[in-house]
Amino acid sequence: MEYKVEAHRIMSISLGKIYNSRIQRGGIKLHKNLLVSLVLRSARQVYLSDYYSGACLNAQSEREGNEWDIMDSEREKFPPSATECDRAESPEEPQQSKQPEASDKEREYRENDDEVKSDQADCTSTLQQEQNPNPSLDSVGNVSPPETINEPKESPSDSSVAERQSTPVANGESHQAPKTHVCSNRKRSAEESESGDSPQKRTKVASSNSKEDEEGEEMDTSNVSNLITIFGSSFSGLLSKDSAKPEAEAEDSGQICCDQMLKNLNPWSTAIVAF
Amino acid sequence: MSVSFGGDEGGVNLTNFVCTSHHTADIISTVEFNHSGELLATGDKGGRVVIFQQETENKSQPQCRSEYNVYSTFQSHEPEFDYLKSLEIEEKINKIRWLPQKNAAQFLLSTNDKTIKLWKISERDKRPEGYNLKEEDGRYRDASTITTLRVPVFRPMDLMVEASPRRVFANAHTYHINSISVNSDNETYLSADDLRINLWHLEITDRSFNIVDIKPANMEELTEVITAAEFHPHQCNTFVYSSSKGTIRLCDMRASALCDKHSKLFEEPEDPSNRSFFSEIISSISDVKFSHNGRYMMTRDYLSVKIWDLNMENRPVETYQVHEYLRSKLCSLYENDCIFDKFECCWNGNDSVVMTGSYNNFFRMLDRTQRRDVTLEASRESCKPRQVLKPRRVCAGGKRKKDEISVDSLDFNKKILHTAWHPQENIIAVATTNNLYIFQEKVN
Repeated sequence: MEYKVEAHRIMSISLGKIYNSRIQRGGIKLHKNLLVSLVLRSARQVYLSDYYSGACLNAQSEREGNEWDIMDSEREKFPPSATECDRAESPEEPQQSKQPEASDKEREYRENDDEVKSDQADCTSTLQQEQNPNPSLDSVGNVSPPETINEPKESPSDSSVAERQSTPVANGESHQAPKTHVCSNRKRSAEESESGDSPQKRTKVASSNSKEDEEGEEMDTSNVSNLITIFGSSFSGLLSKDSAKPEAEAEDSGQICCDQMLKNLNPWSTAIVAF
Repeated sequence: MSVSFGGDEGGVNLTNFVCTSHHTADIISTVEFNHSGELLATGDKGGRVVIFQQETENKSQPQCRSEYNVYSTFQSHEPEFDYLKSLEIEEKINKIRWLPQKNAAQFLLSTNDKTIKLWKISERDKRPEGYNLKEEDGRYRDASTITTLRVPVFRPMDLMVEASPRRVFANAHTYHINSISVNSDNETYLSADDLRINLWHLEITDRSFNIVDIKPANMEELTEVITAAEFHPHQCNTFVYSSSKGTIRLCDMRASALCDKHSKLFEEPEDPSNRSFFSEIISSISDVKFSHNGRYMMTRDYLSVKIWDLNMENRPVETYQVHEYLRSKLCSLYENDCIFDKFECCWNGNDSVVMTGSYNNFFRMLDRTQRRDVTLEASRESCKPRQVLKPRRVCAGGKRKKDEISVDSLDFNKKILHTAWHPQENIIAVATTNNLYIFQEKVN
């Protein structure tokens, strides 16, 4: 848990540095921003991997229902109210076949999701073996149709192809690519959010991406936009989960986590939206 | 207390150090002695260059105390605005490099983020007097008053030091210039930015050759940048450049026109036990310097100084910890941006001692031959007359001894990034934020 808090804190600090580098005198420093983005990526990997490995270990304990809820709230791309049970069968092949030419970062992004899916599959099978289905999870699980999974996958491939075409044109500053990112993220966030704050999230994601436009070449925009989506989805995930889950324990740990994010999120959203 | 460095001859005696300090208007951003050591140039954040000259009190006794006094001050770079990219170009002087002296005038290269300039510094101590058509103040004389003809003569005048820009090397760098280095052939020099290294001829300003280009086709795949570059002191075909990943590449310009393929790659495997979020940042090399004899090179990363033998690529021959007590503070240093500080390093004249800066106005001298090191402080106190330079100690944790300073009391705003060592004598220049300290060993 401490690792998660620490990783999250480092991610916030890193985002702040990237944000501030825009207004620094003398232009954006490529070296510093590269280093910050590396730290951001490391922190994010720790944040996600530590989280999921912890969740799978606890899958057999009594608190497994709670863990599922936390996992749901932390999930990036999937609707927060959906469950992994239905998606266990969703194959990894369609994803990979859709992006045969994806850039490295896009690939890494999807690999993370593939890892996530494999973790899900393991956890799901464990869950089924335990014969302890959570009624709330089942009911919620029927909500998400398979299409929801596939559609977000298409937009990154579109954006990645567009990026590759645009980067040779600009002199290292891909003005076109971030715009495509914005579009793809809009699609993704529209898919994900089933609560009423989707317009707000879209604005946030779009603004954060436009903030990254001027970063130009060195910014790992897919990773950063994922972070924004994490924050966003966790917030909305908490809201939708209030109705879905009856367990109180889940809300405690989930809420603590989301509260921390909320505290950070509010000044962020103000800053990003203002920008 | 007397600590001797570098052996009996040419050693550095830390007692009886004479210190002079010069307060500067702006933050010093680079310090460099010329090849004879007589001149010391500093560049600052405001684009100014200040040159100090060594004055020997008594020329017949060279061991007498000599001071460095201001010799010339000029504005090298001005802030510019790139209208196309809506970017302001800082006037801060990133590097100064002297050219070897060929005639009475001195030449130096100074660079900011985008433009390199060649400056000529010359003395004028005579002026012509006795013109026929002009008065002494320059006004033209009335032709009707001229009745005789005279030959103008040169008369002595107060010494005037003039700095004039002779060449401007512009528009060759998309990214920020971090290094310049004059070739031993005295005709060419290189300039390096984050992704490219260009080779220039000192006489030609309208073109340069790109000799290294590490920009990936897709900028999203960028993983490392160039952080420093230097020509070999004797071999005019050899140069090195360091990267943000902690590697150094040695290139031979005879091999091909584009030196993207290195001749040698110097890299030390990372210690997995030290892995943290910030491992990549602290392995980024901030400075690389060849030894004077050309057999070694020194690199500085955030926590250590490494000496490499040019014939051994897989690991350095010596590693010195500069401030290992900071390793547990990396997260705080990341937050306050100190982890991005780029410390420089330098060799003494006979390559026996190396020096680098730290925080709290501390700087470190590392003796390679005697395997000893010392931490000293550049402060007002050390500049008092008859003051002995007292070695400082930092207490990493646990019980703090007397005279030790604890890590948490260090002032991270007081950093020494730039140091320089006289090429022949034991005179060092240490730049704190707004002060230039010149320490000179006083030999009794």
